[in-house]
Amino acid sequence: MSTVELRRPPRRPKPAPGSKRFSPLRAVGLTVVGLFTAFNLLVLYWLVAASFKTPVEIFTDPFGLPKHWFALGKPFRNFAYAWEQAGFGHAFLVTVLLVAACAVAIVLISAPAAYALTRLGVRGANGLTNVIAIGMGVPFQTVVIPLFVGLAKIHLTNSLFGLFLVYVALSIPFTVFLLTGFFRSLPDELEEAAAIDGASPVRTFFSIMLPLARGGLITGLILNAIGLWNETLLSIVFLQDNAQFTLARALFTFYGAASYQSEYGGLIAGVAIVVLPMLVLYIVLARRIITGLTLGAGK
Amino acid sequence: MATVSFKGTTRYYAGVDRPAVDRLDLEVADGEFLVLVGPSGCGKSTTLRMLAGLEGVDEGQLWIGDRDATNLPPKDRDIAMVFQNYALYPHMTVAENIGFHLKIQKMPKAERTERVLAAAKLLDLEKYLDRKPAKLSGGQRQRVAMGRAIVRRPQVFCMDEPLSNLDAKLRVQTRTQIASLQRELGVTTIYVTHDQVEAMTMGDRVAVLKDGQLQQCDTPVGLFARPANVFVAGFIGSPAMNLLPAKMTAEGASFGGIEVGITPAQRRALTTGEAVLGVRPEGWLITDQGVPATVDVVEELGSDQYLYCTVEGHPELITVRTQGLSKRQRGDLIHLRPQQDALHVFDAATGVRVAE
Repeated sequence: MSTVELRRPPRRPKPAPGSKRFSPLRAVGLTVVGLFTAFNLLVLYWLVAASFKTPVEIFTDPFGLPKHWFALGKPFRNFAYAWEQAGFGHAFLVTVLLVAACAVAIVLISAPAAYALTRLGVRGANGLTNVIAIGMGVPFQTVVIPLFVGLAKIHLTNSLFGLFLVYVALSIPFTVFLLTGFFRSLPDELEEAAAIDGASPVRTFFSIMLPLARGGLITGLILNAIGLWNETLLSIVFLQDNAQFTLARALFTFYGAASYQSEYGGLIAGVAIVVLPMLVLYIVLARRIITGLTLGAGK
Repeated sequence: MATVSFKGTTRYYAGVDRPAVDRLDLEVADGEFLVLVGPSGCGKSTTLRMLAGLEGVDEGQLWIGDRDATNLPPKDRDIAMVFQNYALYPHMTVAENIGFHLKIQKMPKAERTERVLAAAKLLDLEKYLDRKPAKLSGGQRQRVAMGRAIVRRPQVFCMDEPLSNLDAKLRVQTRTQIASLQRELGVTTIYVTHDQVEAMTMGDRVAVLKDGQLQQCDTPVGLFARPANVFVAGFIGSPAMNLLPAKMTAEGASFGGIEVGITPAQRRALTTGEAVLGVRPEGWLITDQGVPATVDVVEELGSDQYLYCTVEGHPELITVRTQGLSKRQRGDLIHLRPQQDALHVFDAATGVRVAE
């Protein structure tokens, strides 16, 4: 008589001996990360909830659900108010165009620069890369006034093109640095194979290296887009004309008007309009961004 | 199709005083399959990369056919290269990978497709033309790398350890495929490997390098039968040749208490009173009178058996090949005597072979 042996796989395979499941460090880490996440979720909830509330609701019941505007059947009243009063419609268009143009220009300039610094064996390339990296360490706030004076001399203040130049220039160090990591991680043999196949350095860059660094280019685009979308200080300094306001700049003006009229619901709705698109973009692309940032670090 | 000549070709690497390749003189005939072999760091890859134009030539010259290619960029040399890790373009399909050179040469699309298809057919890759390299097995990738080389119909193939990333069985298969493909195409081929079995089985001639210097360049049979020095003797053949220090006596050379005969010419050629005797594992006779040796390890391969024996006064194990499945055991005492015609004699001071 034969018996069929019943083998049940363990619900959870055993960890390697010695790797303790529980450690104090792990517990502390989990607690800190948990609290941080909870706090951020709370702020996000407060922002979204408050953007649907009346000022009275915001102050008397900060963490409750919005009721008043829903009861009146006009739940999006705050958003409509902000959109109209702050001129967000136009600002939205300006911002999308400006941010897109900047992000593309930054990557177009940084990619060849990073390629040349890492791959062409240029004399002094390492030193130059370090100089560019130092550029990341200069807080742009410290150069706002000289920048303004400089641009004023060539009549590029209060001009979107002037702001475009400033954005591109200030974003290049980080992007070059990011992309050098990418290009460095590509194997040498591909270039050698291309050279033997008869491709010129320019051809090699465009047909071989650029497609392979695509992940890095996209990461560069996204990170710059998010950063510039939220950029406020420079837009306040360089733009004075309503017609050229970016979202952040328009929000700043709207902040003055809305708080004067105690329109806190509308104000917060305005903040939500500026912040939420980038949040959504980030959630959609988070994985891509993180792999982009860590690639080149490993092997 | 072309000849390749290295004329005193030398290559230094930055910060290293000893040249990676030292005054290499080597003539490769048109259509020949030449294998460069040697231990790692011997300069064989550097030699190949100089030929491909991926390394500069510090001294000497390099000729491909009747052109001085010493300072030509890779694209003007009309050579194709197969890399160790294949270096396929990951974002291109197999067809695009194979056809990349032709595309750069601005060959019309119809002709290009035809050439790529012909190469793919030769390598049994037709089914995979639309795939990306990541979706291929190691052997298929290797064939794509070959395809990229043969589609060009170049003057010279350069192959840098193209089989080292394949598993043992596939390597043996591909070895014969590459060799027969080369004979079919008749393209001059320089092939780098560290595997002496590949070198012996594939090459028309084999060049053995060590420390950047050419030790010997000969047919596989020539290398095996008449190694030019102690290094080549020990490097070619598996298991390696036994190298035994011997003292000259009145009758011949003595090792381990026995005398072996050497010719008067050999005796005259020796610079000192000491020699190194080379005996391959299959060159031993197990007799009643000979060097007493104790069997230390028995390696049974079925068809053959290798005995690793200790001999008093000799620090290294002596390898002896015997009939497979014989009943010898660890600890057995045997007596060894080299067959006279299997004896190689080298000068102990210079390591150079002395002629019979």
